[in-house]
Amino acid sequence: MISLWWFALPVLLLPIWWHRQKKERTDVAMLATARFLPATSPEQQRVWRWLDVVLLLLRCLLLATVIAWLADMVVAWRGDAVLVAPGTTDTAWVDQQVAQAGFKGADRIQVPEADVFGWLARHEREWKNDARLLLVGNVSMPAVRPQLAHAVTVRAKAATVTDAPHYIAIVSARPERWTPLFTALDAPRRFIVTKKPDAKSSLVIWDRPEAPPANLKPSLWWIGDASAFPELKNAKTVDGLRYVDSARGRLWASRSWPAADAQAARDQFETWQRLHFAPVPYAPAAQVIPASAGASHDQASGALRSLLAIALLVLFALERIVAHATRR
Amino acid sequence: MLVTSAQLAHTNDLDLIVRHVLAGLGHGLHAGRERGAGVEFSEYRAYAPGDEWRRVDWKLLARADRYFVREAERDSHVAIWLWLDATASMGEPSRSVSGLTKLMYARTVLACIAAVAQRQGDAFGLVVCSGEGVRFTPAARGPRQFHRVMAQLAKAEPEGMLPSTDTLRTNLHFARAPSLIFAASDFLDWPSPQAEALLRLRRMRHDVRALCLQTQAERDASFTVDKAYKDPEQGEGVFRFGSDVAAAYRQQREAHFDQVIAACRHNDIPTLSACIEEPVPTVLRSWLRLAGRA
Repeated sequence: MISLWWFALPVLLLPIWWHRQKKERTDVAMLATARFLPATSPEQQRVWRWLDVVLLLLRCLLLATVIAWLADMVVAWRGDAVLVAPGTTDTAWVDQQVAQAGFKGADRIQVPEADVFGWLARHEREWKNDARLLLVGNVSMPAVRPQLAHAVTVRAKAATVTDAPHYIAIVSARPERWTPLFTALDAPRRFIVTKKPDAKSSLVIWDRPEAPPANLKPSLWWIGDASAFPELKNAKTVDGLRYVDSARGRLWASRSWPAADAQAARDQFETWQRLHFAPVPYAPAAQVIPASAGASHDQASGALRSLLAIALLVLFALERIVAHATRR
Repeated sequence: MLVTSAQLAHTNDLDLIVRHVLAGLGHGLHAGRERGAGVEFSEYRAYAPGDEWRRVDWKLLARADRYFVREAERDSHVAIWLWLDATASMGEPSRSVSGLTKLMYARTVLACIAAVAQRQGDAFGLVVCSGEGVRFTPAARGPRQFHRVMAQLAKAEPEGMLPSTDTLRTNLHFARAPSLIFAASDFLDWPSPQAEALLRLRRMRHDVRALCLQTQAERDASFTVDKAYKDPEQGEGVFRFGSDVAAAYRQQREAHFDQVIAACRHNDIPTLSACIEEPVPTVLRSWLRLAGRA
């Protein structure tokens, strides 16, 4: 879709019109007996002033650039391309996929955003109509089928879940009630339970009446004994779970903690996993997403905006200089 | 030989035109210079280019090996003054003959009169009113004076306005001797310092003859319609001519010239109104005849 800003192009006529100069009629003939004729006011007429044609050109260019900038002009210049999704580490696998799909000579573009299809939709106008696209790497399955003007071959491979362990500190007089919650886990993450909280701890379970050290700021606290956390008095409650954001971090507390049965422990664990960890993306199967006719290109890509802005600045400076020079 | 205005427009050689006009005029317009037996020899004068060969004293040439001219004529006591209005309005061109202006015409007529005066042996001088000033060539006789006057006439360009009354008054010192004044102008400014000066000269018993020059287009009000016009002597203001104002124009113009002619007649100044499209000899003859009758 063409941006509506292009309809502002007739604005270019303004400087052209202004560059016509008001001038007194010069074809005045001398007549000795003019004194016997009735006096009249000198007629004004507009004449073309082509002398400062450079200035006119600069002004028109300036306006055209402004409109192009507003309309977010995009020039289709990219050919076949391999889009590598962010977080793709296995380059050997990528090379293999590229060779298999027949994209050997294609440009390789590292997509800067995790939402690969969204980025592609915004930038799709930069590709020529006959360009082929290969999307490879850590591509997550979009919720709806992407509407793109180009057919896109997808070769996805889920990123391996990070092996970095999560540190959990249990400060409690009854650690045997808390520890089983983490020992029997089969999630793709590793949890390391410690007794002393430190800077690495992402979850601190505080089940003691005394206050925790002030410098301890994990992202989440599970509070077993609320006497050291006066903030919890005003906490909101959802499903028996009281939660509040404090200066120390997010506090969670529940009367039923530590969990007495397996179901309560599972609920607690799932709540924690759901709210504090990003979902593991699902890698779609290798497929070709066909071009859809209804693909809309109204999203801005801003690909040429920086260039146009520089051009605008240069043109503005030149216009000022030439205008000043012609006025002298 | 008839010099038409078109021929006049095609040459800048005033001398040539004057010869043509005078050839066409023939002799005997005025009483000729007295020559022959009864005339006393007054003096010898060194030959100057332009002097007639028959006036060279050949015996003296044989004796002195130099050319001398006998100044033997009795000179007329009447000085002839040529008055040329060379203000900007005299640059008015003829709308039918391209390249012809009132000034061109006026100076041709005055040059012819200078030639006649020179032929008759009268002293003649030139007054050119141009650019708020007066260029004054003192009256004298002889071919040198003729060339001087011709050069001044040829030099005259239409510019500026008429000189002020004071300027003219200070330049009227020639008016002591009785003289014959031929004034060529368009007389568009009346009353004006020029009119005052001419009337003053007339009151001082000088013989003043006026030639009022016009163009055919001015008379017929046949200018290009719907064009802006400007008065060459009044810088400001633009004037419009159209078929609707032609009648008013004619009326105003006639009223003005009626006033001019009436003032001249009242002061006994013979005035000839002439179109610059008319042939020079015809106008010249009419003017001289008019003057003769006056």
